[in-house]
Amino acid sequence: MAGIRLKEITKTYGSVKALDQISLDIKNNEFFVIFGPAGAGKTSILNVIAGITDPDEGDVYFDEKNMNYVEPKDRDVAMVFENYALYPHKTVYENIASSMRTKMHRQPQEIIDQKVKEVAELLNITELLERQPAQASNGQRQRIALGRALVRNPNVFLMDEPLAHLDAKLRNFMRKELKSIQERLHSTTVYVTHDYTEAMSLGDRIAVVNEGKIVQTGTAGEVYEFPGTEFVAKLFGDCEINLIPGQVVQEQGKLYLKLPWENHRCLLPEDVARVLREKEVTTVDLGARSAAIEYFRTPEEGCIQGQIYTNEPLGNKVELVVKAEQAMIRFTVKVDEKFQIDEKIYLRFDMEKCLFFHSDTKEFLTRHQRQTVRGGRGNGRA
Amino acid sequence: MYQRKSKFERTAGIAGTILLVVYMIFSLFPLVWMVITSFKSDVDMYKTLFIFKPTLENFKNVLTTGNYVKAFTDNFIICAGAVLISVIVGVPAAYALARYQFKKKESVAFTILSFKFAPEILIIIPLFAIFQTLHLYDTYLGMIWIYQFIGLPLLIWVLRGYFEDIPVEMERAAELDGYSWWSVFFKMLIPLIRPGLVAAALLSFIFCWNNFTFGLMLCGFHIQTITVSALTYIATDTVHYGQMAVASLIAIAPEIILCLCIQKHLVRGLSFGAVKG
Amino acid sequence: MAELRLNHVYKMYENTAKKKRKAASLKQGNYAVKDLSLVIPDGEFIGILGPSGCGKSTTLRMIAGLEEITKGEIQIGDQDISRLHPKDRGIGLAFEDYALYPPLSVYDNIAFCLKAHKLPKEEVRKRVLEIAGIMKVETLLEEKVSALSGGQKQRVNIARALVRNPDILLLDEPLSHLDGKMRQILRGEIKRLHKMIGCTTILVTHDQMEAMSLADRIAIMKLGVLQQYGTPEEIYNDPVNLFVADFIGEPPMNLLTVRVGRKGETPVFVLKNQETIKVPRKFYPVIKDGEEYIIGIRPTNIEIVNGETYDALLEVDVFENLGEEKIISIRIEDTFLTIVAEDTEVLEKGDKIRIKMKEDRFYLFDKTTGMRIREPERR
Repeated sequence: MAGIRLKEITKTYGSVKALDQISLDIKNNEFFVIFGPAGAGKTSILNVIAGITDPDEGDVYFDEKNMNYVEPKDRDVAMVFENYALYPHKTVYENIASSMRTKMHRQPQEIIDQKVKEVAELLNITELLERQPAQASNGQRQRIALGRALVRNPNVFLMDEPLAHLDAKLRNFMRKELKSIQERLHSTTVYVTHDYTEAMSLGDRIAVVNEGKIVQTGTAGEVYEFPGTEFVAKLFGDCEINLIPGQVVQEQGKLYLKLPWENHRCLLPEDVARVLREKEVTTVDLGARSAAIEYFRTPEEGCIQGQIYTNEPLGNKVELVVKAEQAMIRFTVKVDEKFQIDEKIYLRFDMEKCLFFHSDTKEFLTRHQRQTVRGGRGNGRA
Repeated sequence: MYQRKSKFERTAGIAGTILLVVYMIFSLFPLVWMVITSFKSDVDMYKTLFIFKPTLENFKNVLTTGNYVKAFTDNFIICAGAVLISVIVGVPAAYALARYQFKKKESVAFTILSFKFAPEILIIIPLFAIFQTLHLYDTYLGMIWIYQFIGLPLLIWVLRGYFEDIPVEMERAAELDGYSWWSVFFKMLIPLIRPGLVAAALLSFIFCWNNFTFGLMLCGFHIQTITVSALTYIATDTVHYGQMAVASLIAIAPEIILCLCIQKHLVRGLSFGAVKG
Repeated sequence: MAELRLNHVYKMYENTAKKKRKAASLKQGNYAVKDLSLVIPDGEFIGILGPSGCGKSTTLRMIAGLEEITKGEIQIGDQDISRLHPKDRGIGLAFEDYALYPPLSVYDNIAFCLKAHKLPKEEVRKRVLEIAGIMKVETLLEEKVSALSGGQKQRVNIARALVRNPDILLLDEPLSHLDGKMRQILRGEIKRLHKMIGCTTILVTHDQMEAMSLADRIAIMKLGVLQQYGTPEEIYNDPVNLFVADFIGEPPMNLLTVRVGRKGETPVFVLKNQETIKVPRKFYPVIKDGEEYIIGIRPTNIEIVNGETYDALLEVDVFENLGEEKIISIRIEDTFLTIVAEDTEVLEKGDKIRIKMKEDRFYLFDKTTGMRIREPERR
């Protein structure tokens, strides 16, 4: 039950900068997701909040209280570790009850009993209570670890990739479980993940981290529809966004985007053109997700021609990779569409659904503003 | 994949078994011979006979005359003390080597192991001189101090592996649960390293128990270890092999009993990590 | 080259202590593989799919000759190869862990088996370069294996399996050690490779996505027994039992226990939480009132509708916006009914939605046997 504020946290290990000027403002009772690729420094941020790692510089505040010199055990945080970190020599019951056996949080036996049973029921592990953690399956261990944290009523929950080691089906299920118990937590939660579905599904807000720096903070809608950089755009979505270099050209007062195919250019929507003019950009990277790509079997107006490089049916959809001259374009289509390898296909980019990035800085420039975009209007930048 | 066992394979199997049996007899025979000797009278001693008139004379001699019982207790005090100290010193040392990063860590660890490299006889003269100067010669303290070096490297290296097997997150989790560092250490870590601790401590005990050089050179008047006391049966005129056999027999008894009691721990402790499965 | 046939193949492990325990866990008469018959047409790409311990790797190893067959036979064309030595079977095998020789260079690794066959140096060089070109490792030939990344190692690994021109290429979880991005790329490469060289390929995997996207035909196994053998489409759209239905698909198929009840005159499926779903007309002939069944429908085959014709009216529990897709979950006791919609308005917990199931993608399973209950064919 506290807001967390990190102020310019820096941490170096040897010559490696693990965290570089990290500043975050996590609101009270918020479910905050820290998202990024492996080795981005996500866990280090959690460790700093928990007090396990001392930063070289910077301050940690819980509400307005500076926590820099407060011991981990006195910070009243509960953490779920990626490898669960259960106590192998204690029963599941004792694992969950362990915090209530310490001097700090000591409780009488009846209350311990009641709380453990309550949590066990919530997480569906009641029948495991008398077993050893070694006898539990991976998914069960994960829930035990979660139970050990949930049984407390801490200032802050910290969760480090709690679903990473589960199989796809269980991960799917547990993600929804987590989301549905989310409001019962009544605590600030900081959740670390490298899975964009978890990030988008669970997070009230998401901080995208890369190489020890925060790249963007925003709601799921914001980071998806208005990614701050090409890097962020690449991380969200099953089928990675296609980035195609293009040149902005002006003809008869209108702005066109010239793409690297012969005589191929697209008219830019008014609002996009306005921003590009204002910023005086001449070269951009066009970001096209599956939804922004139209495809045809016969030549159409304004299409580029390509060949199917690979086609991979994935149940209800098919992922295609199209080779169009030098470029490889990846997108998904409905399963009813049958394409053979090396078949000809014609593609068109829908400029109203594409993103535009600066080709040098790789930063987000603009996109056409749909009326239907929900949750993430405005420029959506960090 | 071609399963039917050929004639060759079957013959090889039988030959292997015979070889192993021969080897077993070879390695166990000295023990058997020692037991037999202990029941022989001095008259029968030099006859390689299996049929003789057994006598308890040797046992009576050893246990009633001389200072064998005193040597036995001395040995026990020294060994137990040495093991106790090496546990008290070794467990934190192993933890530090496993958990903390510091300069020259591997060198320190290797130096500790290297105590086992040099033969004892090589360092005995300087040690003797040091003991004389510090008045440690022929004292319990001195003997315990030198004996704990025998088991310490082993203990540290076995336990270091155990500590490394325990994920550091488990300690963190306990800390966040509200345990102080000391209770984390005693309630979480010690139970997890117990199999290794028991095995390593036991082995240290055995190594100390069997040590001969230090007992011979660094004490002798007030304190005598049993290995050295067995030597006293070599008299000027004759060697009392029967009594020597009895002395040795009694000396190995505690080791055998200890080993049998915690055999399970011993095997498990030296072959498994702490947090597997 | 002709088709590969497995005729009633059985495998039971010898009674060593460890394997005994393994065998004991296989309830199906202690066989690791039981009565497996497969016909693999020449040039096809087959995926053997199943959870760990289902006997898929054992099957592969039996085909390769690394594991002896307890009963049955394996034929290529009309020739029984079950007793042939592995090296005489004309098989190339790429393992899950790379199994490359670390001290050797990439070139020597690929050339290793050719050299063992004492081919002339010129010939070896020609073959290696050709295969290296196909697998796109030409630039790496002088590198040491230890210097390669996971993806590169797996390419070299497959190149090594291909270099002796095998009749059959066996791949044992070739992508499982790679990270997501690399896996996606190599998956495409393997697909193209198969198209290019047209060699019969058998892929063992536990990842249904991998099998679905690569294979012409998939054999799904469970506890040593073949469950279903068919094209990815058949398996996805026409599962024969609960196991197959549950195993295939991401997000997984909704499988819910229901009891048949009546709402007025119309039969309805009563869910565990007493909500009801209209029974599709096609099931009328096969259901009995009061009986319990398991119904299955994929999350993508449920529509949210506004009109008056709907199958069920349910309360949203979890709404997830994943960009292109929105996932709506409805709690039914200890499980969820999941709906994946591409375009829907933002919903809140507690909102009521009307849903309609795609009738031809609505499945019914026997509760005790798990077998599919098929509706009578339409005339």
